[in-house]
Amino acid sequence: MDLSDLIEVEAVVPALKANSKKQVLQLLSEKAAAVTGLSEREIFDTILQRERLGSTGVGNGIAIPHGKLPGIKEIKGVFARLDHPVEFDALDDLPVDLVFLLLAPEGAGADHLKALSRIARVLRDGDTTAKIRGTKDATAIHTFLSQAPASNAA
Amino acid sequence: MDQGIYVITLVGTVLVLIAAFSSLIAFRFGAPLLLIFLGIGLAAGTDGLGLDFDNASAAYFVGSLALAVILFDSGFGTPISAFRSAAAPAVALATLGVVLTAGLVGLAAHFLTDFDWLQSFLLGATVASTDAAAVFFLLRVGNISVRERVRSTLEVESGSNDPIAIFLTLSLVALIATGAPLEPGKLAGEVALGFLQQMGIGLLAGIAGGYVIVRLVVRLNLDQGLIPIFVLALSLLVFALTGALGGSGFLAVYVAGLVAGNGQLRSPASIKRFQDGVTWLAQIIMFLVLGLFATPSQFAEIALPALLLGLFLIFIARPVAVTLCLLPFRFSRAETAFISWVGLRGAVSILLAITPLIDQLQGGRALFNIVFIIVLVSLMVQGWTVGPLARRLSMVVPPRLGPLNKVELELPGSAHHELLAYRVVPGSPVERGQRIPRWARPALVVRDGRSMTYQYAGRLMAGDHVYIFVPDRYPRLLDRLFASPAEMDPEDADFFGAFSVDPTRPAADIEAAYAPGLSDKEQAMTIAEFMRKRLGGRAEYGDRVTLGSIELIVRDVDEKGEIAAVGLSVDPPASPPRVPVFLSIGEAASRLWTMLKGRR
Repeated sequence: MDLSDLIEVEAVVPALKANSKKQVLQLLSEKAAAVTGLSEREIFDTILQRERLGSTGVGNGIAIPHGKLPGIKEIKGVFARLDHPVEFDALDDLPVDLVFLLLAPEGAGADHLKALSRIARVLRDGDTTAKIRGTKDATAIHTFLSQAPASNAA
Repeated sequence: MDQGIYVITLVGTVLVLIAAFSSLIAFRFGAPLLLIFLGIGLAAGTDGLGLDFDNASAAYFVGSLALAVILFDSGFGTPISAFRSAAAPAVALATLGVVLTAGLVGLAAHFLTDFDWLQSFLLGATVASTDAAAVFFLLRVGNISVRERVRSTLEVESGSNDPIAIFLTLSLVALIATGAPLEPGKLAGEVALGFLQQMGIGLLAGIAGGYVIVRLVVRLNLDQGLIPIFVLALSLLVFALTGALGGSGFLAVYVAGLVAGNGQLRSPASIKRFQDGVTWLAQIIMFLVLGLFATPSQFAEIALPALLLGLFLIFIARPVAVTLCLLPFRFSRAETAFISWVGLRGAVSILLAITPLIDQLQGGRALFNIVFIIVLVSLMVQGWTVGPLARRLSMVVPPRLGPLNKVELELPGSAHHELLAYRVVPGSPVERGQRIPRWARPALVVRDGRSMTYQYAGRLMAGDHVYIFVPDRYPRLLDRLFASPAEMDPEDADFFGAFSVDPTRPAADIEAAYAPGLSDKEQAMTIAEFMRKRLGGRAEYGDRVTLGSIELIVRDVDEKGEIAAVGLSVDPPASPPRVPVFLSIGEAASRLWTMLKGRR
């Protein structure tokens, strides 16, 4: 259950400041554009379109916005730890402070879903999220994401 | 003579008390409770403590009355909605299924024992029905909530198949007793005619009896304490009268329970409580008596064929019968397998096995012993494994609501309103500020021992007691408002999918985000419409629609049966749970088919 192949240290934002769901998505799109070299507008539109289908807030303060882009070459992630939780219309109505944005190529199909499932499992682990919430260091967060236990690999 | 009364009462009450105490142990260890009752009866009987009870007629009489009480209660506790949703498959199982099971077991019995054909089929008929008490106990008390349609089907089946098995058995006993030479054509006609008469009269008398019970209870101004007794006596009257008229009293009493339980009875809660108690007593007495009646020292000589027959029933006869009966009803493979497995035999089978003894048929004692062992095998093998199997086959649905603190109070004189007392629990919607709908008439709030009207209480706080007047048949909505949030453990998240989806959005959005390959026509629907279509027109809490590597899961259904919330799972669907091949006849047949095709 290793996420290191999905995300690089440069793609971790350790202390994002945002006031709304929209702003979180905007700032993350900006970061993703920097990492992938794609247009920020295109990324933002894609994930916003997915949010309309239903919030990607999965509960316990975690959200996993995602979408498919024609221009991207491989599956790429961007992670942000928010300084202050924001409302995200999550399932349990709790505000969100950990956000993993995942972008996949148009034809990624099953790999895209497998990556999503892995991220959801890693972030479901209470120890991992507690450790991430307790630090403001990008390298440390990246390490926690990479070393998350593979225990509940069902 | 005086001493006799004391001794009998002493023995009887002590046995019942031991049985009641043993229920504590059973709940703790999940052992099939009925097995324990039976065991206590055996332990006290001829080969145990030496209570010599060998009166077949008395055992049958007591058992029949107890069964009537149990059947009335099982009808009484079945909501008509559950009955409707499950009636067709359940009735197929209760009629055709019983006949098939009886036939198959009869066939096997002929080869495994030295019974002649009629005796073998008699044996098959006695073990053809599932036991309502055992099935209900396992499905309700086993602390699992099984998928609604499967549970209703099993419950309605187990309640309604006893009359058919009883009819078959009694017909066969009568046939053997007369000893007349067989004329198959004439015989089939007579049996069919007898069946129609018994079931027809039973059904009509049951419906009529149920209505009369409701009318009388509503009309007569009986004392509260007397009502439950009155209902019980009336139900037994329906049983006896129908039987005397040549109908099936057992079917009548079950139907009467169904009608009465769904009628607008006065003080339903106290009737229900009383019924629960009486049913417990009836079960305890029935199993104790049957256990007392058996003589385990005779078991050794027929143990092997009986054991084989028991296994044949569990692994072949029941699955074949269930698979055939459920073919037209769109049950999944796992559902069919589960229904096959929850075919517990119980007291009714043992009770029916007494009838040949009453008529002193040849081989009656051997038949009784074999049936007794079959029931023991079924209770042990199936009774102990239902919970784990339900989980394995994903028949278990996570609880919809968290714990709820509610008391229903009966109002004197009024048949149409109830007073509900809820305790506000932390985290419940009302505690978080949701208003109670106006039709619910919140009357009183008790906070820190002081009472105040709802209007002055302001926002409800955890620990408040709220008293609410509601019309009869209040919707579940109120419970939802007062329930604490259901605990989601990680497995539930797997079950319902990590993401949520708005069911009112077009299905085209799903295609855009995940490309599972929906047709143009499907993309034009909303997600709710699309899911309903894929599910065959009816969506139920916990239903899943698999689309390539994503799954849509029904998270909630509203009062009208519309899909209200949907989850989306991106976990690659686990490989379908493997079922032992013998449990899934359909699969076995299709494998055989591919094998044969491969040969050619």
